[in-house]
Amino acid sequence: MDILAGILISTGLIFFLGTTIGLLRFPDFYSRMHAAGKGDTLSTVVILLGCICLISTQGDLSWILGLKILLIINFIFIGSPTATHAMMDAGNKAGAKPWKKDAD
Amino acid sequence: MPSLPIWQFDVPLLILVVLFAVVALSIRNLMGTAIVFGAYSFMMCLIWAGMGAVDVAFTEAAVGAGVSTVFIVSTIYNTSATMPPRPGGLPFKLFIGVVVTLTGVFLLSAIPDFPKWGEPNSPANATVAPYYISNTIADAHVPNIVTTVLADYRGFDTLLETTVVFIACIAIYSILRVDEARSKTEDSGPVDAEPHYDPSDSLIVRQASRFMVPFMQLFALYVIAHGHYSPGGGFQGGVILGASLILVAISFDLKFLLAQWREKQIMLMVAWGVFLYAVVGLGCVFMGGNYLDYGFLNPVLPGEQDMARSHGILLVEIGVGITVMFSMIGIHINLASNGHFDRGL
Repeated sequence: MDILAGILISTGLIFFLGTTIGLLRFPDFYSRMHAAGKGDTLSTVVILLGCICLISTQGDLSWILGLKILLIINFIFIGSPTATHAMMDAGNKAGAKPWKKDAD
Repeated sequence: MPSLPIWQFDVPLLILVVLFAVVALSIRNLMGTAIVFGAYSFMMCLIWAGMGAVDVAFTEAAVGAGVSTVFIVSTIYNTSATMPPRPGGLPFKLFIGVVVTLTGVFLLSAIPDFPKWGEPNSPANATVAPYYISNTIADAHVPNIVTTVLADYRGFDTLLETTVVFIACIAIYSILRVDEARSKTEDSGPVDAEPHYDPSDSLIVRQASRFMVPFMQLFALYVIAHGHYSPGGGFQGGVILGASLILVAISFDLKFLLAQWREKQIMLMVAWGVFLYAVVGLGCVFMGGNYLDYGFLNPVLPGEQDMARSHGILLVEIGVGITVMFSMIGIHINLASNGHFDRGL
């Protein structure tokens, strides 16, 4: 279980690294939000799954803790993409122009 | 048991906190400052959680990073995100610099007088804390010592804190609320002419918040009721309840919220929370005890003296929760609608 937890958490950290690089390197608002939204949600979910594996061996009541973390995953899975959508929509209405290859 | 605080976590977090403070002061756009302050609060929350003060961390996450960021953003919505140029020439700046440096030096000079973190012989740890730790189960049947200290041993403090929240809400009402009948000046809503984003346009945001809000409120009730056993209590649960209704106000419409809670009802509920707290205290007096001595409520509440104290704590936590929840909603509506209670963020 600990090995599985290690694999999941390091996968999540790699996704976080990708998110950060995308946030810094992508050319315009929309692609940066794309990197932030997708990478952030997935890596958080994967890291929390790793946490479930990590605590699942500790004591009789660890399944309650696991259930709580599953609920957190559920809400992150709903809340984070919605927030990304709201920010994208706001950017669109504020007039952020998408990046084009020939324009730059 | 690893020794707390874990300095490998704490040192980077403290450096980040200082960095965030500097960044927040140097950003010229106030919206950016608000967001950086939110991040600052989250870092402080992590530091407190690392020190083992989970209740404080919880409050900071709910109040500092959550609701107050929303308050600042809705204030910016009704004013302007650009900062005016700073006043004063070089002498003024020098004067400010000297004052700030002197204050900092005085504050830092007090550090050697503090006891070390976790020092067993410091006054706080040597006198009352051992009594709380060894007697909380016998006195009130509450495993979470923070809750017992907050609502029972230090019940007067918390009563007055709740009153402070109540007074703050009244103050914001009296400053911001516009009396439509009496006001002659034409105030045309937000000063900013920029195109504002209205989240209530988006079906996705509305549906997501429609799904989330009941669970948020359920969690808030759990936080209030389970505060005896886990971190939480009236303040945190009240703020989460208020935040859930603020989410409704943002993602649907201010009118949608005001159709369910009218202004008078909100203000009345703010007062009812403090009233419930005070009445529980008075009840103890009528039962023959001191003010807020919940043990004397055991003819009314189920259980023996210790369980009666536990239930008394629950009652006052509910009072705190009601006051905090409705003050948060009232403050948000006032800030978002510029005191008009019609439309806004």
